[in-house]
Amino acid sequence: MADIIQLTILGLALGGVFALMGSGLSLVFGVMRVVNLAHPALIIAGAYATYWGWRLLGVDPVLMMPFSAALLAVVGIVIYKVFFEKDAASAKYSDLTVLMAFAVAMIVEGALGGMFTNTQRVTSPSYATEAIFIGEIFIPKGQLIAGIISMTIIGSLGLFLKFSRTGYAIRATTQNREAAELLGVNLRFIALLSFAIGIALAGCAGSLVSFVFNFFPAKHWEWIAIMMSLVVLGGMGSILGTVVGALLLSVLASYVGAAAGATWSTMVFFVALFLVLLVRPQGLFGDKSELAS
Amino acid sequence: MTALLEVTNLTAGYGDGPAILSGAGVDVQPGKVHCIIGPNGAGKSTLLKAICGMLKIREGEVRFKGEKLNGLRPDQILRKGICFVPQERALFPKMTVLENLRMGGFMLTDDTVVNSRVDEILDRFPILRERATQLAGTMSGGQQQTLAMARTLIIKPDVVMLDEPSLGLAPKIVQEMFDIMRVMADEGITILLVEQNALMGLKHADWGVVLDLGRTLFEGPAQEILTDPRIQELYLGGKKAA
Repeated sequence: MADIIQLTILGLALGGVFALMGSGLSLVFGVMRVVNLAHPALIIAGAYATYWGWRLLGVDPVLMMPFSAALLAVVGIVIYKVFFEKDAASAKYSDLTVLMAFAVAMIVEGALGGMFTNTQRVTSPSYATEAIFIGEIFIPKGQLIAGIISMTIIGSLGLFLKFSRTGYAIRATTQNREAAELLGVNLRFIALLSFAIGIALAGCAGSLVSFVFNFFPAKHWEWIAIMMSLVVLGGMGSILGTVVGALLLSVLASYVGAAAGATWSTMVFFVALFLVLLVRPQGLFGDKSELAS
Repeated sequence: MTALLEVTNLTAGYGDGPAILSGAGVDVQPGKVHCIIGPNGAGKSTLLKAICGMLKIREGEVRFKGEKLNGLRPDQILRKGICFVPQERALFPKMTVLENLRMGGFMLTDDTVVNSRVDEILDRFPILRERATQLAGTMSGGQQQTLAMARTLIIKPDVVMLDEPSLGLAPKIVQEMFDIMRVMADEGITILLVEQNALMGLKHADWGVVLDLGRTLFEGPAQEILTDPRIQELYLGGKKAA
C-alpha cells in the first residue's frame, strides 16, 4: 500500500510539471489553432537561461523563473511576428504552421547546440537533492517544489482566463473566433498575447525542468510526444484537460515504471496517444464538433 | 429621409475568389426593419459580412452616418454602432449565459455599465435569467438565438444585422424571434435582416430589398414587394402573400 501511495505522489509531482509544460501548448492551440511543435524546444531554452543564471550568478532556479518567462515571452513575440502572423487568414493555417513550428524547433535546437554544446546540464540547488520522509514514504523535494509551483501557475492562469476581461476574450476566441471578432475582440492582438503567454509558460516550465531533469538541446524530441499525448488526452485546447491528462498519465507512468522498469514508463504516454486518437479523438474535455471544424 | 447606412455599388468576395457581390446597394433608414431576400447564392449573407468588415470591399462604399466604413475591422465597425449576429453558432458554447452576455459588452470598458446592462437584459428575458449559469451550448436552438439577439442590446447599437435568425428553429419559436426583433425596432434600433423564408421576413419588415446574382434588383416598401406579381413569381414561390 505504501508503495502505491509513494508511486502516486511521485507521479502527481511529475504530472504537475508536465501539466505546466503542456498548458502553454494547449493555450496556443486553443486560441490560434497552431500545434506549436517548437514548444518543448523553447522550454529547453528557458532551462538554459535558468541554468546560466544559476551557474554564473548563483541565482536560485526558482528565482530565475520570472526572468526566464520574460525572456521567452519576448522570444515568443518575435517568433509569432516572423513565422505565424502573416498567414493567419489562410484556410490552411493549421497545416502551414505545423511545418513552420517544426522549423522553429530545429532552429532553436541548432542555436542552443551551437551556443551551449550538447553536454547534459542540470541545475542542482540544495533542494533538488533532498527528500522529505513521511513514515516509509519519501518525496523528492525538487519534484515536490516544481509540482506545487506548476500547479500554482496553472491555477493563476485559470483565474486570469476565468475572470479578467482579457481572459474572457481569450476564451471567447478559443470557442468561436468569428463571434469574438464581431463583439469587438481584436483577434490579432489576442493571438499575439496568447502566444506570448504560452511561450512565457514554456519559460517558467524551463526553470523548473532545469532541476527536475537533465537536459540538452535535442531533449525536446522526447518531450514533444509526451506533451502531445497529454494535450490530446485532455482535449486539444482545453487547459483543464491538459492538467487532468498530465496527472493521470504521469501517475500511470509511475506505476508502469515500478512494475516493468523505467524504460517502459514513457511508453504509457505513447500508447495513450494512440489509444485516445483511435477511441476518443476529441479527448476527455474536447468537443467532437471542434474536430470537424 | 437621409439614410443611416448607405451601401453603394458594392463588389466583394471571399479571399481571392470570385466576386459574390457586384453592384449591391441598400439604403438603410433609421428605426426601420429592412429585409433582404433573394435566392440561394444571391449574396445576402455576403452583403452583411462586407458591411461589418469581415470581408474586404473591392469596389463601392459603405457609409454610416455619412462616414465611410471601407477598410475598417469588425471591432472598429462595432464601435461605430453596427452589430452583426451571424448565422448559427454566434455564441460561445462553453461559456455560461451570463458570460456570453458579458462578452457582448466586451468593447465597453466600464464594468459597472456592463453589469447593469446585463441585469436589464436578464430582467427583460426571464428565460435567460433562469439559465444564467448554464453553458450556452447546452440550451435549445431558440434559447440560443434569443441569447444571441439579446446580447446585441448590451452595447445599445444603432443598427443590428441579423443573418437568418429563424434558421433551424420550429415555426412557433421563429415567431418569438421576430417578436424580439420587432421589440428591438420599436426601441429605435434599425434592423437589417437576411431571411431565407422571404414571406415571413417581409411580413415583419418595413422595407424589402431583393438581391440576385450579387446585385440589388429592387427595393421598396415590404408590403409592395409582397404584392408585386413579378417578385412573387420569382422569389416568393409564386404564391399569393397573405
